Amino acid sequence: MSDPALGLTMLGLIVVAIMMGFPTAFTLMGLGMGFGYLAFWAPGQHWYNNQIFDLIVQRTYGVMTNDVLLSVPLFVFMGYIFERAALIDRMFFSVQLAFRRLPASLAVTTLLVCAFWGIASGIVGAVVILMGVIAMRPMLNAGYDVRLASGAITAGGTLGILIPPSIMLIVYAAVAGQSIVKLYAAAMLPGFFLTFLYLVYILGWAILNPKIAPKLPPDKYHLAVPEWLQRLERGRSRRVIGGLIAAALRPSLLRGADAPDGRRIGYGLILKNLLTAVVPLALVVTTFGTAWWYVVIYNAPAAVTAASVSTTQTASVSAEPAGSSTLAEPDKPQELGTPESVTETAEAPQSADAPPQRMGSPLAEPTGESAMGHIPEHFYAWFWGLAVLSALLLGLYYWRMDGEQLEILRELVVSVVPLGVLTVVVLAVILFGITTATESAAIGALGALFLAVMAKYPRQVCWWSLAGALVGLVLGLGRGDFMTLFVSASLGGVFAGTLVPGLLNFRTSPALRKNLNESVFLTAKTTAMVCWLFVGSALFSGVFALHGGQSLIERWVRSMDLSPVGFLIMSQLIIFLLGWPLEWTEIIIIFCPIFIPMLDHFKVDPILFGTMVAVNLQAAFLSPPVAMSAFYLKGVSPKHVTLNQIFAGMMPYMLIVILCLVFMYIWPGMTLWLPEFLYGN
Amino acid sequence: MNAQRLVQAIDRVSYWSGKAFAWLIVALTFVVSIEVFKRYILNAPTAWMFDLNNMLYGTLFMMTGAYTLAAAGHVRADFVYIYLRPRAQAALDLALYFLFFIPGILGLIYAGYDYAALSWRIGEHSTVTAEGPPIYHFKSVIPIAGALVMLQGLAEIVRCVECLRTGVWPERPRDVEEIDVVDTQLAQSEFVDEESRRAAVASAHAIEEAARHRSAVDESERKEP
Repeated sequence: MSDPALGLTMLGLIVVAIMMGFPTAFTLMGLGMGFGYLAFWAPGQHWYNNQIFDLIVQRTYGVMTNDVLLSVPLFVFMGYIFERAALIDRMFFSVQLAFRRLPASLAVTTLLVCAFWGIASGIVGAVVILMGVIAMRPMLNAGYDVRLASGAITAGGTLGILIPPSIMLIVYAAVAGQSIVKLYAAAMLPGFFLTFLYLVYILGWAILNPKIAPKLPPDKYHLAVPEWLQRLERGRSRRVIGGLIAAALRPSLLRGADAPDGRRIGYGLILKNLLTAVVPLALVVTTFGTAWWYVVIYNAPAAVTAASVSTTQTASVSAEPAGSSTLAEPDKPQELGTPESVTETAEAPQSADAPPQRMGSPLAEPTGESAMGHIPEHFYAWFWGLAVLSALLLGLYYWRMDGEQLEILRELVVSVVPLGVLTVVVLAVILFGITTATESAAIGALGALFLAVMAKYPRQVCWWSLAGALVGLVLGLGRGDFMTLFVSASLGGVFAGTLVPGLLNFRTSPALRKNLNESVFLTAKTTAMVCWLFVGSALFSGVFALHGGQSLIERWVRSMDLSPVGFLIMSQLIIFLLGWPLEWTEIIIIFCPIFIPMLDHFKVDPILFGTMVAVNLQAAFLSPPVAMSAFYLKGVSPKHVTLNQIFAGMMPYMLIVILCLVFMYIWPGMTLWLPEFLYGN
Repeated sequence: MNAQRLVQAIDRVSYWSGKAFAWLIVALTFVVSIEVFKRYILNAPTAWMFDLNNMLYGTLFMMTGAYTLAAAGHVRADFVYIYLRPRAQAALDLALYFLFFIPGILGLIYAGYDYAALSWRIGEHSTVTAEGPPIYHFKSVIPIAGALVMLQGLAEIVRCVECLRTGVWPERPRDVEEIDVVDTQLAQSEFVDEESRRAAVASAHAIEEAARHRSAVDESERKEP
């Protein structure tokens, strides 16, 4: 007895029932159960033989064996471990030093740290409260405009749910039956484009009207250079590298100087500083080496001479990321983590079409699929061009490095680089199809654990990682080539460096135990929340389709005779409005499935649609007067900051997001270029 | 008083089981990572890894459902609900527990029991690979998890009745929340002054509560640093 009237009733009821505020997972289960029972009811059948029971258990088992959702707990776990292990205020401090010469440097730093932090964690409330404590007061004390300060915090805080690896995109992938990898690739450019637009807005405003962001007094952004380091500075521009190398060769140069902690200067200290100085070089070299390996060795140069259309595209677009990243960090590309920006520029353009998920093939074995692997035509030109450029920049950076810059670099190396490297590695292996999303999520979680242990016991972790790396090296020896050895050594290092010191100190370190406990339990709660909602929704949508409700809606929408633009505007508007009262989980899991079947009719790419939904929710979460982040910020700011000021600060960002949506619609290429480029069509 | 003891006992069961199964995430992390090492470096992939991953993940989220319910962690569309008085909230919840929760979960337990029983009878093995591992115990998770959630649901119903009688919601046991990260982070911070740190930590929960109501924290309750 299935009939469309019941389907309509269901649709009306679901809206009312959800609004009653009962845990949504169980609301959906109950509704699905009831209506499904009616749908399957047949006279003369025993009440307990109703087929709804088969449906509910199959839907549940389907969620339990869903290999897309499998990466949810892993990414969530990674995020929770991260946000407890990496120190956000130290990160803020060091990034601020690196950007000190920019206009509105504090606001720029705030936005970047928020975005960066959000990549790992993605919990809006916590980010906004933390940044409210750490960044709001310094900004207000420096005389920044309240609107500028509050806008940077609230807009930056919501970015985290968009930029991969975001949980929201995984859940959308599971709902729409799309590949996570493609969605991540698609969300990459809009995510960074949005960040870029925010930065342009802040910088533009500060340049046009310098009064809103006065320059910091010099004593606020100078770092004290320890006395022994000062003695090594040479010449008027106080270059330090030469002196450091000289001191490493002849420690007697530093006789009589004391280290900051009052002890004698030892060889270890000099070596440590030298190592720090080498980090940017090492990161750049690794990046270029990996790009070379990926294109030339991993992607089997079966047809080197092949010059297809896609290769010319490769060359023409590869200029774009390079340009945007130089814009994002004007005159001082060396000062902030050079490595990250170079990674983006170097790796993205040079990869050839990677087969999406090459699960079974071992790392270093050249692939047999010659059709897929070819070196883009202009690869060598671009590679060497970028390599020479980076070498020049690095050379300049080292040439001009003074004691203070070395100190800043040390701060950056401690606070930003580990998290940055881990994020880039996790995203890179997903995007280039080297491992599956689940595997990289697990490696990411392991890396987060490694960082958490290292933050507490750096010395032990160092030694044990070294031992583990040796073991990994030996195990990988049988397989021969350099890249396998490198990967197996680093994996071995991470394993040993996490497990041994972690287990040794687990009993004696309350901080470590607290971090792990809290992360484990929070992961369980978040995963259960998302997946039980998924179970409920899977049952409900099955029953809804059974009653013909879905086709009813489809017929109704088609009868409105909308153009694709009209459909997109309507659906995005509905989602925008739903974003005010609801959380993203409910919107993606319950309401997106209503639109997704219609995408085909309007010729809208589900990947584009998903990315637009993700961007759209940014706007919804930034719109006054319902945005929660404003209230979080109000809670921690000084009393004279009013809610209206915070809303006024948020407003422009909401408009920027909407602008970004318009751009995404006008140039779908911005979203779809990267997935098509990486995985073909 | 007996009712309260019952609720406490059920809470303890849910918390204990949920927290015990929560540790599967650590196992999952290591199992997948080790498999990465085995497959890509040693070139020795494990056939039943896919099934094992699914079992770990599926058991993890199913068995922590009751714990999440006990800790009020299931998402609600509460933009109307939070403005109601506790008695009205309890009445609404009570009705919906009987209308939605009990039929849904009873159906899950009943269907899951049959499903698992059949699987046990035929000694079902996974068909993902040729010689798949047995999956009947994995399927048994469905009725067991359903029963745990149902048990916790009974405790929630007793809570609703309690609230209807007294007019205030009974206390829940303290559990870790997402906002606790503020505490952890600020405890380690070097650049935030002591007073604003203490003020933020002290009011973090109140701020979160207020933000859910879309309102700022009451000024009189706040400690100005």
